[in-house]
Amino acid sequence: MKTIKVLLILVLVFSIAIPLLFSGQVFITPIAEKLTPGMENDDVMKVQQRLKNWGYYDGSITGSYDLKTFLAVRDFQRTYKLPANGIVEKDTLESMGLTTFAQSGAAMAASKVSDEQLLARAINGEARGEPYEGQVAVGAVILNRTRDSKFPKTIAGVIYQPGAFTAVSDGQINVAIDPKSTVVKAARDALNGWDPTNGCVYYWNPATATSKWIWSRKILKKIGKHNFGI
Amino acid sequence: MSIREKLLDFKRRLSDRKMYSIVVVVIASVAIWGIYQYKHAANLRQELDNQYNRAFYDMAGYVNNVEVLLIKSLISSTPNKTAATMQEAWRQANMAQTNLGQLPVSQQVLANTSKFLTQVGDLAYSINNQNMDGKQLTDEQYKLIEKLHGYSVSLEQGLNDLQTQLTTGRIKWGDLANKGSKLFQKTSSEMPAEQFENIDKTFQDYPTLIYDGPFSDHMTSTEPKGLTGENISIEQAKQKVIDFFGKDKVEAVTDVGKDDYGQIKTYSFNVTFKNVEKEQNANIDVTQKGGHILWMLYNRAIPSEKINMDQAKELGKKFLEEHGYKNMVDTYYLKEDNTAVINFAYSQNNVTIYPDLIKVKIALDNGEVVGFESKGYLSSHSERNIPVPKITIEQARALITSKMNISSAGLAIVPTDYKTEIFTYEFKGKLNDRDFLVYINAETGKEEKILMIINTPNGVLTM
Repeated sequence: MKTIKVLLILVLVFSIAIPLLFSGQVFITPIAEKLTPGMENDDVMKVQQRLKNWGYYDGSITGSYDLKTFLAVRDFQRTYKLPANGIVEKDTLESMGLTTFAQSGAAMAASKVSDEQLLARAINGEARGEPYEGQVAVGAVILNRTRDSKFPKTIAGVIYQPGAFTAVSDGQINVAIDPKSTVVKAARDALNGWDPTNGCVYYWNPATATSKWIWSRKILKKIGKHNFGI
Repeated sequence: MSIREKLLDFKRRLSDRKMYSIVVVVIASVAIWGIYQYKHAANLRQELDNQYNRAFYDMAGYVNNVEVLLIKSLISSTPNKTAATMQEAWRQANMAQTNLGQLPVSQQVLANTSKFLTQVGDLAYSINNQNMDGKQLTDEQYKLIEKLHGYSVSLEQGLNDLQTQLTTGRIKWGDLANKGSKLFQKTSSEMPAEQFENIDKTFQDYPTLIYDGPFSDHMTSTEPKGLTGENISIEQAKQKVIDFFGKDKVEAVTDVGKDDYGQIKTYSFNVTFKNVEKEQNANIDVTQKGGHILWMLYNRAIPSEKINMDQAKELGKKFLEEHGYKNMVDTYYLKEDNTAVINFAYSQNNVTIYPDLIKVKIALDNGEVVGFESKGYLSSHSERNIPVPKITIEQARALITSKMNISSAGLAIVPTDYKTEIFTYEFKGKLNDRDFLVYINAETGKEEKILMIINTPNGVLTM
C-alpha cells in the first residue's frame, strides 16, 4: 500500500517535471543549415555584409558565394579559431551572430507569416476581447508607427520592438486565432487604410497601464477599454 | 490529529529506510532538473546578451559611418559624387535605425534618437534624388547637413561612453530585458536606460527640420485642402450620419465622443440598424468642419457573394454621386471576405487625380456600402489649375523602352513621397507578359515612377 502511494507520488513528480523540461524551450538556431561556394541567396548576402563590416571582405554584396567570399570566410574562421575550411556552417554563423530564435512546437512558423497574418496575430494578442472598431484601431496604431519617424519602419520591426507590446513580451501574440474571431478581418481593414484612431501611435488600457509617462500623451479617442493618443 | 502529531508521524515514517531513500532520490532528481534549467536559462540569457551587444555595436558602427558620410558630402564637389555619398548615408542611417529598434530599451527613451536617424536618412534620400538630376546643394541644405553632422557627433560620443560601460561589464542587457521578472528586479540598475535618456536629451532641443522628406514635420501640419465648409454642431453631425446611411435603415445613432486634437477634428458615432443584431453595428467619424464623413466601418457578417465586380463598381459610383462626390472614377479594387474595396479617384478634365482618393467597401451579398474612407480626398481635394503639358504624348511615349507594348495612355496627377504632386502621362503596357504602369513627367519628360500591376483573382494591385 505504502509503496503504491510512493510510486504514485514519483509518477506525479516526473509527469510534471518531464514536460516542464521539454516544453517551451527556446532554441537559438543559425539562419541557414550550410552555405557553400557556388550558392546564391540572401543568406550569403548577409554573410558578405557582416564580413564587409568587419573588414574581412572588400568585394560588393552580391549574394553569390564566390572565391573572394570563400577567402574572407576562411580568414574569419582563422581569427575565431574555427576549422578554416571556407564553408559557412553552424559554428561560423553563430560566431557571426546570424541566428534566429526558434521555439519548439507551434510558434516555430510565427516568423514566416505574412504582414496580414502578423498584424492579425498582434491584434489577437492585444485586443481580441475588444469591439471590432477597437481591433481595427490597434492594427491602425501599428501601421501608423511604421510611418512615424520615432519607430521602426516595418510591421515586424514595430511589433517585435522590445517592450513595445505586452502581447509580444508575454507570448500572447502566439495564441491561436479563433476561427470565429474578427481579428483577421480587422487586420485587413487596417491594411486597406481604415484608421479609427485618426493617426494615433500609442494606446493603453487606463485600468492597467503602469507607465506614468504614457499619461503625458494627448488622448484623441477612447475605444473599448483602450485610450488612443499621440 | 494535531499538527504536532502529524509532524511526528511524518518523522516516524521518514525513518523508514525505504521511504528515506525515495525522498532522497526525489530531491536529487528535482535538484538536477533545477540545475539543468538554471544552466539552460543562463545560456539563453548569454545568447540574448550577445544579440543585444551585436545590435548595439552594429548601430554604433553605422552611426559612425553616417557621421563620416555627412562630413564627406560637404566636401564632395560634383553633384553626382554627393548623390552617391548621400545614398550611402541613407542606407547606413536605415540600418542604424533597424538595430536601434532591437535594443531592449523602452521606445520613449529612444524616440528622439530614432527620429534623428530617420530624418538624416530622409534628408539624404531627398538630396540623393535631387543631385542625381545634376543639381548642386543649396546653401540651406549645406547648413542643414552641417547641423545634422553636429548632432551625429554628439550621438557618437554618447554611444562611445555606453560602449565603454558595456565592455567593462557595468551594463548587462539581460538585466534590462528581464526587468519584468522579480528575480532580476533587484540586480537591474536603471542605469542603461538613464544613459540612453541622456543621449536622447541632447536631441530634445534640436529644431524641426524643414525639407521635402516623407516624414517631414511641416508637411503633416498642412491644412487639409478638401476640408471645406463651416463648423457644425454635434446635432448637425448626427443628422449627417442619418443621411449617410438612409433614414429608413438607421435604428439609433449614439454619440461616442469627439477628437479635438487630430489633424482632422471629428465627432464619433456608433450606429445600430433596424432588423439587424446589436453586435453588428457601424462606427463613423464626421468632421467637425464641414460635416464630411471621414471614415465608416460597418461590421456585418456577409455570408455570400451574389453580385459581381462590375455591379459593385457601379453601385459604388452611384453611392458617391448621391452623396455629392462627382466625377469619381474607379481605379483599383480588392476582393476579400465577400466584400470589395474599390478605390475611386477624382477626375478633372479627363486627368485622373490619384491623391483625391476615396475607398468604398461594398458587401457583395446585397450591394450595401459597409465601409467608407476619404482621408486622401479630404486632405488634398481642390480644383487644380492643370497646365497644358509641355511635351506631347508622342514625345513621352518615345521615352519609354520600345520593348514595352503600350495598351493605353492618359494624363494623371500622382502624389510623391514628399506629399507634393506631379503632372504626368500615365502609360499602361506589357513587358514579358507582365503589366506595368509608367509615369512620365508631362513638363520635364522625366520618368517619375514605374509600377508593376499584379492581377490576382481578388483584384488589381500595384507594386
